[in-house]
Amino acid sequence: MDVSNLLASHAAKFQSVTVEKETPLDVDAGFLTVTDLNPIDEESYRSNLEEYLQSTARDGTQALIAALYALPTQLSPDGPLAQLPPPTTALPRAKPLPKPKAPTKWELFAAAKGIQKQHREKKIWDEEKQEWVNRWGRDGKNKEKEEQWINEVKANAAVDFDPVQATRNARKARVAKNERQKLQNIARSQAVREERSERKIEIERTLASTRTSTASMGRFDKKLEGDKKMRGVKRKFDPTEASAEQEKQASLALLSKLDGEAKRRSKDTGGDNVLNVRKAIRSVSRGKGGVALGRDAGRGGAKGKRGGKR
Amino acid sequence: MRPLTEEESKTVFTKLANYIGKNLIHLVDRKDEPYCFRLHRDKVYYVSESSMRLSISVARPNLVSLGTCFGKFSKTGKFKLHITALDHIAQYAKYKVWIKANGEMPFLYGNHVLKAHLGRITEDTPEHQGVVVFNMSDVPLGFGVTSRSTIDTRKLDPTAIIVFHQADVGEYLRDEETLF
Repeated sequence: MDVSNLLASHAAKFQSVTVEKETPLDVDAGFLTVTDLNPIDEESYRSNLEEYLQSTARDGTQALIAALYALPTQLSPDGPLAQLPPPTTALPRAKPLPKPKAPTKWELFAAAKGIQKQHREKKIWDEEKQEWVNRWGRDGKNKEKEEQWINEVKANAAVDFDPVQATRNARKARVAKNERQKLQNIARSQAVREERSERKIEIERTLASTRTSTASMGRFDKKLEGDKKMRGVKRKFDPTEASAEQEKQASLALLSKLDGEAKRRSKDTGGDNVLNVRKAIRSVSRGKGGVALGRDAGRGGAKGKRGGKR
Repeated sequence: MRPLTEEESKTVFTKLANYIGKNLIHLVDRKDEPYCFRLHRDKVYYVSESSMRLSISVARPNLVSLGTCFGKFSKTGKFKLHITALDHIAQYAKYKVWIKANGEMPFLYGNHVLKAHLGRITEDTPEHQGVVVFNMSDVPLGFGVTSRSTIDTRKLDPTAIIVFHQADVGEYLRDEETLF
Protein backbone atom coordinates (compact mmCIF):
# COMPACT_ATOMS: atom_id res chain seq x y z
CA MET A 1 0.00 0.00 0.00
CA ASP A 2 1.39 3.33 -1.11
CA VAL A 3 0.57 6.12 1.31
CA SER A 4 2.82 8.73 -0.24
CA ASN A 5 -0.06 9.90 -2.43
CA LEU A 6 -2.35 10.26 0.54
CA LEU A 7 0.33 12.10 2.49
CA ALA A 8 0.96 14.43 -0.42
CA SER A 9 -2.73 15.28 -0.81
CA HIS A 10 -2.99 15.77 2.95
CA ALA A 11 0.02 18.09 2.90
CA ALA A 12 -1.44 20.02 -0.05
CA LYS A 13 -4.58 20.64 1.98
CA PHE A 14 -2.61 22.18 4.85
CA GLN A 15 0.13 23.74 2.81
CA SER A 16 -1.50 27.14 2.95
CA VAL A 17 -1.26 27.22 6.75
CA THR A 18 2.41 28.16 6.57
CA VAL A 19 3.22 31.50 4.98
CA GLU A 20 6.43 31.68 2.99
CA LYS A 21 7.58 35.12 1.91
CA GLU A 22 10.85 36.55 0.68
CA THR A 23 11.03 38.94 3.59
CA PRO A 24 9.33 37.35 6.63
CA LEU A 25 6.18 39.16 7.82
CA ASP A 26 6.55 41.45 10.79
CA VAL A 27 3.98 40.30 13.37
CA ASP A 28 3.24 42.45 16.41
CA ALA A 29 0.85 40.29 18.43
CA GLY A 30 0.50 42.97 21.14
CA PHE A 31 -1.29 45.29 18.70
CA LEU A 32 -2.70 42.38 16.62
CA THR A 33 -0.84 43.89 13.67
CA VAL A 34 1.00 42.36 10.74
CA THR A 35 3.23 44.43 8.47
CA ASP A 36 4.10 43.07 5.04
CA LEU A 37 7.44 44.56 4.00
CA ASN A 38 7.68 42.67 0.70
CA PRO A 39 7.71 44.75 -2.47
CA ILE A 40 4.51 44.59 -4.55
CA ASP A 41 4.54 42.06 -7.33
CA GLU A 42 3.71 44.45 -10.16
CA GLU A 43 2.60 41.86 -12.69
CA SER A 44 -0.09 40.26 -10.54
CA TYR A 45 -0.99 43.66 -9.11
CA ARG A 46 -1.80 44.99 -12.58
CA SER A 47 -3.47 41.87 -13.94
CA ASN A 48 -5.85 41.12 -11.05
CA LEU A 49 -5.81 43.71 -8.30
CA GLU A 50 -8.62 42.22 -6.19
CA GLU A 51 -7.14 38.77 -6.11
CA TYR A 52 -3.68 40.08 -5.30
CA LEU A 53 -4.97 42.20 -2.40
CA GLN A 54 -7.01 39.29 -1.08
CA SER A 55 -4.07 36.91 -1.16
CA THR A 56 -1.82 39.45 0.59
CA ALA A 57 -4.46 40.04 3.25
CA ARG A 58 -5.01 36.32 3.70
CA ASP A 59 -1.28 35.68 4.16
CA GLY A 60 -1.07 38.42 6.74
CA THR A 61 -4.11 37.17 8.64
CA GLN A 62 -2.80 33.62 8.50
CA ALA A 63 0.54 34.71 9.92
CA LEU A 64 -1.19 36.65 12.69
CA ILE A 65 -3.46 33.75 13.64
CA ALA A 66 -0.53 31.35 13.61
CA ALA A 67 1.34 33.72 15.93
CA LEU A 68 -1.69 33.93 18.22
CA TYR A 69 -1.91 30.14 18.48
CA ALA A 70 1.73 30.01 19.42
CA LEU A 71 1.09 32.27 22.42
CA PRO A 72 0.50 30.90 25.96
CA THR A 73 -3.21 30.59 26.72
CA GLN A 74 -5.37 31.04 29.76
CA LEU A 75 -8.62 29.18 30.36
CA SER A 76 -11.78 31.19 30.72
CA PRO A 77 -15.56 30.42 30.67
CA ASP A 78 -15.64 31.64 27.03
CA GLY A 79 -12.82 29.32 25.98
CA PRO A 80 -9.06 29.70 25.98
CA LEU A 81 -7.68 33.26 25.78
CA ALA A 82 -4.28 34.00 24.28
CA GLN A 83 -2.12 36.18 26.50
CA LEU A 84 -0.81 38.97 24.32
CA PRO A 85 2.81 40.05 24.75
CA PRO A 86 3.55 43.77 25.17
CA PRO A 87 3.51 45.53 21.77
CA THR A 88 6.81 46.03 20.02
CA THR A 89 5.77 48.75 17.55
CA ALA A 90 6.55 52.24 18.80
CA LEU A 91 3.60 54.59 18.26
CA PRO A 92 4.00 58.37 18.04
CA ARG A 93 2.85 60.14 21.22
CA ALA A 94 -0.65 61.64 21.19
CA LYS A 95 0.17 64.79 23.18
CA PRO A 96 2.86 67.33 22.35
CA LEU A 97 6.06 67.24 24.36
CA PRO A 98 5.77 69.01 27.70
CA LYS A 99 7.16 72.53 27.70
CA PRO A 100 10.53 72.89 29.44
CA LYS A 101 10.31 74.25 32.96
CA ALA A 102 11.31 77.85 33.49
CA PRO A 103 14.81 77.99 35.08
CA THR A 104 14.98 78.88 38.75
CA LYS A 105 16.95 81.86 39.97
CA TRP A 106 19.79 79.58 41.08
CA GLU A 107 19.86 77.79 37.73
CA LEU A 108 20.15 81.14 35.94
CA PHE A 109 22.96 82.19 38.26
CA ALA A 110 24.72 78.85 37.90
CA ALA A 111 24.49 79.05 34.11
CA ALA A 112 25.93 82.59 34.15
CA LYS A 113 28.81 81.58 36.41
CA GLY A 114 29.38 78.26 34.68
CA ILE A 115 28.68 76.22 37.81
CA GLN A 116 28.21 72.56 37.05
CA LYS A 117 25.49 70.69 38.84
CA GLN A 118 26.91 68.08 41.19
CA HIS A 119 25.03 65.02 42.22
CA ARG A 120 24.54 64.94 45.96
CA GLU A 121 24.18 61.49 47.45
CA LYS A 122 21.22 61.07 49.76
CA LYS A 123 23.33 58.98 52.15
CA ILE A 124 26.36 60.33 53.92
CA TRP A 125 29.17 58.46 55.77
CA ASP A 126 29.08 58.82 59.52
CA GLU A 127 32.61 58.44 60.99
CA GLU A 128 31.43 57.90 64.54
CA LYS A 129 28.72 55.35 63.79
CA GLN A 130 30.81 53.83 60.98
CA GLU A 131 27.80 53.50 58.67
CA TRP A 132 25.85 55.32 55.92
CA VAL A 133 23.15 57.63 57.34
CA ASN A 134 20.57 59.89 55.71
CA ARG A 135 21.73 63.41 54.88
CA TRP A 136 18.27 64.64 55.96
CA GLY A 137 14.95 63.11 57.02
CA ARG A 138 14.66 60.26 59.51
CA ASP A 139 17.78 60.11 61.71
CA GLY A 140 19.31 62.64 59.34
CA LYS A 141 22.82 63.95 59.68
CA ASN A 142 21.47 67.52 59.70
CA LYS A 143 19.78 66.82 63.06
CA GLU A 144 22.98 65.54 64.63
CA LYS A 145 23.62 68.72 66.64
CA GLU A 146 20.10 68.69 68.03
CA GLU A 147 20.23 65.14 69.23
CA GLN A 148 23.67 64.91 70.81
CA TRP A 149 23.66 64.60 74.58
CA ILE A 150 26.11 67.42 75.30
CA ASN A 151 26.51 70.84 73.64
CA GLU A 152 29.21 73.42 73.62
CA VAL A 153 28.07 76.86 74.80
CA LYS A 154 30.08 80.04 74.38
CA ALA A 155 31.14 81.77 77.53
CA ASN A 156 29.35 85.00 76.67
CA ALA A 157 26.04 83.28 75.86
CA ALA A 158 22.84 84.53 77.42
CA VAL A 159 21.57 82.89 80.59
CA ASP A 160 18.51 81.32 78.92
CA PHE A 161 20.42 80.24 75.78
CA ASP A 162 19.23 76.82 74.64
CA PRO A 163 21.77 75.40 72.13
CA VAL A 164 19.42 72.59 70.97
CA GLN A 165 16.59 75.04 70.34
CA ALA A 166 18.94 77.42 68.53
CA THR A 167 20.21 74.81 66.07
CA ARG A 168 16.68 73.55 65.55
CA ASN A 169 15.45 77.08 64.83
CA ALA A 170 18.30 77.60 62.36
CA ARG A 171 17.41 74.36 60.54
CA LYS A 172 13.71 75.27 60.41
CA ALA A 173 14.61 78.73 59.09
CA ARG A 174 16.65 77.11 56.27
CA VAL A 175 13.67 74.95 55.33
CA ALA A 176 11.34 77.95 55.38
CA LYS A 177 13.75 79.97 53.25
CA ASN A 178 13.93 77.19 50.69
CA GLU A 179 10.14 76.96 50.56
CA ARG A 180 9.89 80.71 50.10
CA GLN A 181 12.41 80.66 47.30
CA LYS A 182 10.56 77.79 45.63
CA LEU A 183 7.30 79.76 45.69
CA GLN A 184 9.10 82.82 44.33
CA ASN A 185 10.49 80.74 41.48
CA ILE A 186 6.99 79.44 40.64
CA ALA A 187 5.53 82.95 40.78
CA ARG A 188 8.33 84.27 38.55
CA SER A 189 7.76 81.59 35.91
CA GLN A 190 3.99 82.22 35.89
CA ALA A 191 4.41 85.98 35.76
CA VAL A 192 6.39 85.67 32.54
CA ARG A 193 3.62 83.68 30.92
CA GLU A 194 0.80 85.94 32.16
CA GLU A 195 2.63 89.06 31.10
CA ARG A 196 2.98 87.73 27.57
CA SER A 197 -0.68 86.75 27.20
CA GLU A 198 -1.82 90.04 28.70
CA ARG A 199 0.40 91.95 26.35
CA LYS A 200 -1.03 90.02 23.40
CA ILE A 201 -4.60 90.82 24.41
CA GLU A 202 -3.69 94.45 24.90
CA ILE A 203 -2.06 94.69 21.47
CA GLU A 204 -5.08 93.08 19.82
CA ARG A 205 -7.41 95.50 21.56
CA THR A 206 -5.31 98.49 20.54
CA LEU A 207 -5.18 97.27 16.97
CA ALA A 208 -8.96 96.82 16.89
CA SER A 209 -9.58 100.32 18.20
CA THR A 210 -7.11 101.92 15.77
CA ARG A 211 -8.76 100.17 12.87
CA THR A 212 -12.12 101.72 13.72
CA SER A 213 -10.71 105.11 14.66
CA THR A 214 -10.81 106.69 11.22
CA ALA A 215 -13.43 109.02 9.77
CA SER A 216 -15.27 106.15 8.11
CA MET A 217 -14.96 103.89 11.20
CA GLY A 218 -12.54 101.72 9.25
CA ARG A 219 -14.95 101.11 6.46
CA PHE A 220 -13.10 102.67 3.50
CA ASP A 221 -9.56 102.14 4.74
CA LYS A 222 -6.85 100.54 2.68
CA LYS A 223 -6.63 96.92 3.65
CA LEU A 224 -3.20 95.63 4.51
CA GLU A 225 -2.12 92.25 3.32
CA GLY A 226 -2.84 89.56 5.91
CA ASP A 227 -5.30 91.79 7.76
CA LYS A 228 -7.88 89.62 9.41
CA LYS A 229 -11.53 90.56 9.33
CA MET A 230 -12.59 92.06 12.63
CA ARG A 231 -15.20 90.14 14.49
CA GLY A 232 -17.40 91.48 17.20
CA VAL A 233 -19.08 89.56 19.97
CA LYS A 234 -21.63 87.20 18.54
CA ARG A 235 -25.12 87.13 20.04
CA LYS A 236 -26.22 83.74 21.26
CA PHE A 237 -29.82 82.57 21.38
CA ASP A 238 -31.49 79.42 22.55
CA PRO A 239 -32.04 76.83 19.84
CA THR A 240 -35.41 77.13 18.07
CA GLU A 241 -36.00 73.40 18.14
CA ALA A 242 -35.66 72.92 21.91
CA SER A 243 -38.49 71.04 23.57
CA ALA A 244 -41.57 73.12 24.42
CA GLU A 245 -41.70 71.52 27.87
CA GLN A 246 -38.28 72.93 28.71
CA GLU A 247 -39.30 76.35 27.45
CA LYS A 248 -42.51 76.22 29.48
CA GLN A 249 -40.56 75.52 32.66
CA ALA A 250 -38.27 78.47 31.96
CA SER A 251 -41.28 80.74 31.33
CA LEU A 252 -43.04 79.60 34.50
CA ALA A 253 -39.88 80.23 36.51
CA LEU A 254 -39.66 83.71 35.03
CA LEU A 255 -43.34 84.34 35.82
CA SER A 256 -42.93 83.31 39.44
CA LYS A 257 -39.90 85.59 39.64
CA LEU A 258 -41.90 88.51 38.25
CA ASP A 259 -44.74 87.68 40.65
CA GLY A 260 -42.37 87.79 43.59
CA GLU A 261 -41.02 91.14 42.46
CA ALA A 262 -44.53 92.58 42.15
CA LYS A 263 -45.41 91.34 45.64
CA ARG A 264 -42.30 92.92 47.11
CA ARG A 265 -43.09 96.21 45.40
CA SER A 266 -46.68 96.25 46.70
CA LYS A 267 -45.36 95.52 50.21
CA ASP A 268 -43.01 98.49 49.91
CA THR A 269 -45.77 100.88 48.94
CA GLY A 270 -47.92 99.37 51.66
CA GLY A 271 -51.05 97.99 50.07
CA ASP A 272 -52.48 96.13 47.10
CA ASN A 273 -52.68 97.71 43.70
CA VAL A 274 -56.42 98.45 43.98
CA LEU A 275 -55.86 101.28 46.44
CA ASN A 276 -53.29 103.91 45.56
CA VAL A 277 -52.00 104.57 49.07
CA ARG A 278 -49.94 107.59 48.12
CA LYS A 279 -52.90 109.25 46.48
CA ALA A 280 -55.25 108.28 49.32
CA ILE A 281 -53.00 109.91 51.89
CA ARG A 282 -52.71 113.02 49.77
CA SER A 283 -56.46 113.20 49.39
CA VAL A 284 -57.31 112.63 53.06
CA SER A 285 -54.62 114.94 54.42
CA ARG A 286 -55.57 117.59 51.86
CA GLY A 287 -52.11 117.63 50.36
CA LYS A 288 -50.18 118.00 53.63
CA GLY A 289 -48.74 114.50 53.64
CA GLY A 290 -48.75 111.46 55.90
CA VAL A 291 -46.90 113.10 58.81
CA ALA A 292 -49.48 115.88 59.14
CA LEU A 293 -52.25 113.30 58.95
CA GLY A 294 -50.74 111.32 61.82
CA ARG A 295 -50.40 114.48 63.93
CA ASP A 296 -54.03 115.41 63.31
CA ALA A 297 -55.19 111.90 64.19
CA GLY A 298 -53.22 112.10 67.46
CA ARG A 299 -54.94 115.36 68.39
CA GLY A 300 -58.40 113.87 67.78
CA GLY A 301 -59.95 112.71 64.56
CA ALA A 302 -62.30 115.68 64.07
CA LYS A 303 -60.24 117.38 61.38
CA GLY A 304 -59.60 114.20 59.48
CA LYS A 305 -63.28 113.38 59.47
CA ARG A 306 -64.24 116.74 58.09
CA GLY A 307 -61.53 116.40 55.45
CA GLY A 308 -62.96 113.08 54.35
CA LYS A 309 -66.41 114.58 53.74
CA ARG A 310 -65.07 117.18 51.37
CA MET B 1 -37.47 82.79 14.04
CA ARG B 2 -36.03 82.23 17.50
CA PRO B 3 -37.18 81.87 21.10
CA LEU B 4 -37.23 85.01 23.20
CA THR B 5 -34.30 85.81 25.42
CA GLU B 6 -34.99 86.15 29.12
CA GLU B 7 -34.96 89.94 28.89
CA GLU B 8 -37.46 89.90 26.02
CA SER B 9 -39.70 87.37 27.77
CA LYS B 10 -39.74 89.60 30.80
CA THR B 11 -40.84 92.60 28.72
CA VAL B 12 -43.58 90.62 26.99
CA PHE B 13 -44.84 89.03 30.19
CA THR B 14 -45.00 92.28 32.13
CA LYS B 15 -46.97 93.86 29.30
CA LEU B 16 -49.38 90.94 29.11
CA ALA B 17 -49.71 90.76 32.90
CA ASN B 18 -50.97 94.33 32.82
CA TYR B 19 -54.10 93.01 31.10
CA ILE B 20 -54.57 89.45 32.31
CA GLY B 21 -52.58 89.36 35.55
CA LYS B 22 -51.89 85.90 36.88
CA ASN B 23 -53.98 84.29 34.13
CA LEU B 24 -50.79 84.57 32.08
CA ILE B 25 -49.93 81.14 33.43
CA HIS B 26 -52.83 79.73 31.39
CA LEU B 27 -51.22 81.05 28.21
CA VAL B 28 -47.83 79.56 29.06
CA ASP B 29 -49.04 76.29 30.53
CA ARG B 30 -51.90 75.18 28.31
CA LYS B 31 -53.89 72.02 28.89
CA ASP B 32 -54.67 71.22 25.24
CA GLU B 33 -51.38 71.65 23.41
CA PRO B 34 -47.96 73.07 24.23
CA TYR B 35 -47.66 76.66 23.02
CA CYS B 36 -44.61 78.86 22.88
CA PHE B 37 -43.52 82.40 22.07
CA ARG B 38 -41.31 83.00 19.05
CA LEU B 39 -39.63 86.12 17.74
CA HIS B 40 -39.46 86.70 14.01
CA ARG B 41 -38.41 90.04 12.53
CA ASP B 42 -39.09 91.92 15.79
CA LYS B 43 -42.60 90.46 16.02
CA VAL B 44 -43.61 88.10 18.78
CA TYR B 45 -45.75 85.16 17.79
CA TYR B 46 -47.74 82.87 20.05
CA VAL B 47 -47.67 79.55 18.30
CA SER B 48 -48.42 75.90 19.00
CA GLU B 49 -45.42 73.62 19.19
CA SER B 50 -46.53 71.56 16.19
CA SER B 51 -46.79 74.53 13.83
CA MET B 52 -43.59 75.97 15.26
CA ARG B 53 -41.82 72.75 14.33
CA LEU B 54 -43.29 72.90 10.83
CA SER B 55 -42.16 76.48 10.35
CA ILE B 56 -38.58 75.66 11.38
CA SER B 57 -38.10 74.31 7.88
CA VAL B 58 -39.11 77.60 6.25
CA ALA B 59 -36.22 79.93 5.49
CA ARG B 60 -36.21 83.25 7.32
CA PRO B 61 -36.82 85.48 4.26
CA ASN B 62 -39.70 83.24 3.15
CA LEU B 63 -41.47 83.07 6.50
CA VAL B 64 -44.17 85.75 6.56
CA SER B 65 -46.04 84.87 9.71
CA LEU B 66 -46.83 81.99 12.05
CA GLY B 67 -49.34 81.36 14.80
CA THR B 68 -50.85 84.48 16.35
CA CYS B 69 -48.91 87.72 16.29
CA PHE B 70 -48.98 89.16 19.83
CA GLY B 71 -47.14 92.36 19.12
CA LYS B 72 -43.78 93.75 18.19
CA PHE B 73 -40.64 95.09 19.76
CA SER B 74 -39.83 98.69 18.99
CA LYS B 75 -36.29 99.69 18.15
CA THR B 76 -35.81 100.88 21.74
CA GLY B 77 -36.75 97.45 23.08
CA LYS B 78 -40.28 98.28 24.24
CA PHE B 79 -43.05 95.83 23.48
CA LYS B 80 -46.25 96.97 21.77
CA LEU B 81 -49.29 94.72 21.83
CA HIS B 82 -51.16 94.27 18.56
CA ILE B 83 -54.90 93.91 18.20
CA THR B 84 -54.31 90.35 16.95
CA ALA B 85 -53.63 89.33 20.56
CA LEU B 86 -57.15 90.43 21.54
CA ASP B 87 -58.71 86.96 21.43
CA HIS B 88 -56.24 85.56 23.94
CA ILE B 89 -56.30 88.64 26.15
CA ALA B 90 -60.11 89.00 26.16
CA GLN B 91 -60.78 85.49 27.46
CA TYR B 92 -58.48 85.95 30.46
CA ALA B 93 -58.95 89.69 31.06
CA LYS B 94 -59.00 90.72 34.69
CA TYR B 95 -60.58 94.16 34.25
CA LYS B 96 -63.17 94.91 31.60
CA VAL B 97 -64.99 97.93 30.24
CA TRP B 98 -68.28 97.71 28.36
CA ILE B 99 -69.20 100.60 26.06
CA LYS B 100 -72.61 101.64 24.83
CA ALA B 101 -73.70 101.25 21.20
CA ASN B 102 -73.24 104.98 20.50
CA GLY B 103 -69.59 104.75 21.67
CA GLU B 104 -68.66 101.76 19.58
CA MET B 105 -67.90 103.53 16.31
CA PRO B 106 -65.80 106.33 17.83
CA PHE B 107 -63.71 103.71 19.64
CA LEU B 108 -63.32 101.61 16.51
CA TYR B 109 -61.98 104.65 14.67
CA GLY B 110 -59.18 104.94 17.21
CA ASN B 111 -60.61 107.42 19.74
CA HIS B 112 -60.44 107.16 23.51
CA VAL B 113 -63.45 106.00 25.51
CA LEU B 114 -65.40 108.90 27.04
CA LYS B 115 -67.44 108.73 30.17
CA ALA B 116 -70.58 109.35 28.17
CA HIS B 117 -69.98 106.12 26.24
CA LEU B 118 -69.19 104.03 29.27
CA GLY B 119 -71.76 101.30 29.83
CA ARG B 120 -70.23 99.22 32.58
CA ILE B 121 -66.85 98.82 34.22
CA THR B 122 -65.37 96.17 36.50
CA GLU B 123 -65.57 97.15 40.17
CA ASP B 124 -62.35 98.26 41.85
CA THR B 125 -60.44 98.90 38.64
CA PRO B 126 -57.36 100.90 39.58
CA GLU B 127 -56.03 103.77 37.48
CA HIS B 128 -53.53 103.13 34.67
CA GLN B 129 -54.70 99.52 34.50
CA GLY B 130 -54.87 97.61 31.23
CA VAL B 131 -58.49 96.82 30.39
CA VAL B 132 -60.27 95.05 27.56
CA VAL B 133 -63.08 96.98 25.90
CA PHE B 134 -66.29 95.11 25.05
CA ASN B 135 -69.53 96.25 23.49
CA MET B 136 -72.76 95.66 25.40
CA SER B 137 -73.27 92.23 23.75
CA ASP B 138 -69.88 91.08 25.09
CA VAL B 139 -67.94 91.23 21.82
CA PRO B 140 -64.32 92.31 22.46
CA LEU B 141 -63.51 95.49 20.53
CA GLY B 142 -60.02 96.33 21.73
CA PHE B 143 -58.01 97.27 24.74
CA GLY B 144 -56.72 100.31 26.50
CA VAL B 145 -55.55 101.78 29.79
CA THR B 146 -57.82 103.36 32.40
CA SER B 147 -57.22 107.01 33.19
CA ARG B 148 -58.94 106.91 36.60
CA SER B 149 -59.95 104.26 39.07
CA THR B 150 -63.59 103.16 39.12
CA ILE B 151 -64.37 105.27 42.20
CA ASP B 152 -62.85 108.40 40.72
CA THR B 153 -64.87 108.11 37.50
CA ARG B 154 -68.11 108.89 39.35
CA LYS B 155 -67.12 112.50 39.86
CA LEU B 156 -66.07 113.15 36.27
CA ASP B 157 -68.04 115.03 33.63
CA PRO B 158 -69.37 113.11 30.60
CA THR B 159 -66.69 114.31 28.17
CA ALA B 160 -63.79 113.12 30.31
CA ILE B 161 -61.65 110.27 29.00
CA ILE B 162 -62.06 107.04 30.96
CA VAL B 163 -59.98 104.60 28.89
CA PHE B 164 -57.02 105.59 26.76
CA HIS B 165 -57.20 103.82 23.43
CA GLN B 166 -54.42 101.37 22.66
CA ALA B 167 -55.75 99.01 20.02
CA ASP B 168 -59.12 98.29 18.44
CA VAL B 169 -60.43 95.86 15.86
CA GLY B 170 -60.63 98.70 13.32
CA GLU B 171 -56.88 98.27 12.93
CA TYR B 172 -57.51 95.09 10.97
CA LEU B 173 -58.58 97.46 8.17
CA ARG B 174 -56.42 100.50 8.96
CA ASP B 175 -53.07 98.79 9.60
CA GLU B 176 -53.57 95.68 7.54
CA GLU B 177 -50.09 95.75 5.97
CA THR B 178 -48.08 96.04 9.18
CA LEU B 179 -50.24 94.11 11.60
CA PHE B 180 -49.29 90.48 11.13
